[in-house]
Amino acid sequence: MISKRISPTRFALWRQYGREMSVGVFLLLLLGYFGTTPGFLRADNLRDILINAAPLVIAACGMTMVIIAGMIDISAGSALAVCAVVAGLTAKSGASLPTVILLPMLTGAVIGAVNGWLVAFVRIPAIIVTLGMMSVLRGGIIWWTRGEWIGNLPPSFSAVGRGEVVGIPTPVLVAVGIVVAIAFLLARTPLGRHIYAVGGNPLAAARMGIPVRRVLWLVFVMHGALLGLSALVYASRFSVIQSNAGAGFELLAISAVVVGGVNIFGGQGTVWGSAIGGLLLQVISTGLIFRRVSEYWAPSVQGALVLLAVVADALRTRRARR
Amino acid sequence: MRKAFRITPILAAALLLLVACGKKQTPSAGTSTTNTGAKLVVAVMPKLKGIDYFNAVERGAKEAAQEIGNIDLTYDGPTEGKVDQQIPFIESWTLQKVDVIAVACNDPDAISPALKRAREKGVHVITYDADANAEKSGREFFVNQATFEDIGRALVDEMAAQAGENAKVAIVSSSPTAPNQNAWIAVMKRYMAEKYPKMQIVTIQYPEEDQGRAFSMTQDILKTYPDVKGVFGISSVAFPGAADAVRQAGKSGIVAVVGLSTPKSMREFVKDGTVKTVILWNPVDLGYLTVYVAKAVAEGTLKPGAKEIEAGRLGKVKVEGDQVLLGPPMKFTAENIDRYDF
Repeated sequence: MISKRISPTRFALWRQYGREMSVGVFLLLLLGYFGTTPGFLRADNLRDILINAAPLVIAACGMTMVIIAGMIDISAGSALAVCAVVAGLTAKSGASLPTVILLPMLTGAVIGAVNGWLVAFVRIPAIIVTLGMMSVLRGGIIWWTRGEWIGNLPPSFSAVGRGEVVGIPTPVLVAVGIVVAIAFLLARTPLGRHIYAVGGNPLAAARMGIPVRRVLWLVFVMHGALLGLSALVYASRFSVIQSNAGAGFELLAISAVVVGGVNIFGGQGTVWGSAIGGLLLQVISTGLIFRRVSEYWAPSVQGALVLLAVVADALRTRRARR
Repeated sequence: MRKAFRITPILAAALLLLVACGKKQTPSAGTSTTNTGAKLVVAVMPKLKGIDYFNAVERGAKEAAQEIGNIDLTYDGPTEGKVDQQIPFIESWTLQKVDVIAVACNDPDAISPALKRAREKGVHVITYDADANAEKSGREFFVNQATFEDIGRALVDEMAAQAGENAKVAIVSSSPTAPNQNAWIAVMKRYMAEKYPKMQIVTIQYPEEDQGRAFSMTQDILKTYPDVKGVFGISSVAFPGAADAVRQAGKSGIVAVVGLSTPKSMREFVKDGTVKTVILWNPVDLGYLTVYVAKAVAEGTLKPGAKEIEAGRLGKVKVEGDQVLLGPPMKFTAENIDRYDF
């Protein structure tokens, strides 16, 4: 019994991380396929893929928590735009680096807190709350910036998105750090276990004495803060910040999470899966251009590949149940 | 307590809806548009107020009104680019019996009945920047800032000058269904085949309205087609995205980036040499010309069949059918870009 727990058999590992592993295998297959095109597997291209995927992976970590808790957030793209503009304006005002990092995260957390409050305490369905929030933020950002882009960013700001630490691009480092941190939070802390419990069966969770509403609210706040960080990493790669950035970003984040094997109805999944899912989406997008797939077909091929990943997962789950 | 709790979500939802819909714009009645004596009352409406582009239009309109002298100009419109917020302005102006209404339409069809009613009440109606449905609205003239033909040709000519007449080029567009972009692409292809038969489009990518995607797609284009000598960025999102990718790949000056956007959003790239030319029309001139057309229509000097119209500092401006053509697009370069703030 004890030995079994210390060294789980390969089968147990498959049972626990099967979803993530199948997506991972799929990613490797795709890399192999696209890898036959010259230049795709070159270090600079792989590096660009990782950097471009970083904001999505960071946002997908927050979205993972939201979806595991049985919720959804479709205001993520608009929130990204707001946080990106906040990041840019803070940097331009000459604020110190910690402020430039913290202010967008704080903005995101406040947006998340409002969403979370309406969902958890006022008890409006998340899809309605975030649908409303999506329009409020999109309208607000246009009103605030008058549609203008934010340029003339200081070099210190660009260093966040384009710098590197010991040869690893900062965005990649940040993304890896966040994935590890959230994985730890979900798997090893009481709060993390509560999130699974709330998403799996809210009634049972409440009976067990889990403060369901507070957990939900916290999930939205943390997700918001991560969106702020994602926005910072996203925006600091560019020379000008688009005031209406992140159109469709929420769907991309949700796709990454779902492709990564997180149960859309809540209660199951890990950030490892979502991170691989985010990477997968970026690899597909780049790979299709390398493969010179007709531009009219690219979105369909991309969608079909995502479906394939999900179907593979469904088949695997069914066999596991048998 | 329980009951109150059940009502709260409904209240909150209602509140949310209210906020989401935003405050309805109601035009203030009877501002400065009462018809006094011989003064011609011209009401000009942008797609939305408060953005640089239409601020520039407003400046041009005011300049023309001042120059002409006997014009009472009202410039007003919604704060969001929504057609349902434009209609109340038209209705209110119709009631006030202004002489001319000039509209940049957010939707060609939805706005047409309101314009038609204005026409029936004897108000002159012209459109500028974005046309209404000519038939259903009964509008008299459309002030066209640039034809697809002019823009498409200007883009290709500029690319040929920068990257060479037999360059391999890529296009970064908007969405695959964007009507303006597709019309430009069609002209570009045809014109290229005519004038630069050796120029070749290797790929067209559609990043939608997303800067990040425009950026990463251009990165991928540069790596997939290492012999590409030029990239067209033909939307205000695609152009800076493409320029950023070229600059960060260290290919400024090696790969030409040509496109359409406002000079303000491209200034940085023009300053550092990544972009040599930004192509667009001049919105100040557009506003200026619109007021001249309004005056000519109201005074009956511009009638169907006219071939040209005299428009102040713009001189003689061409009229084709029911369209007044602002003329060839403008080029913004390192020399002149600082003079424009839109």
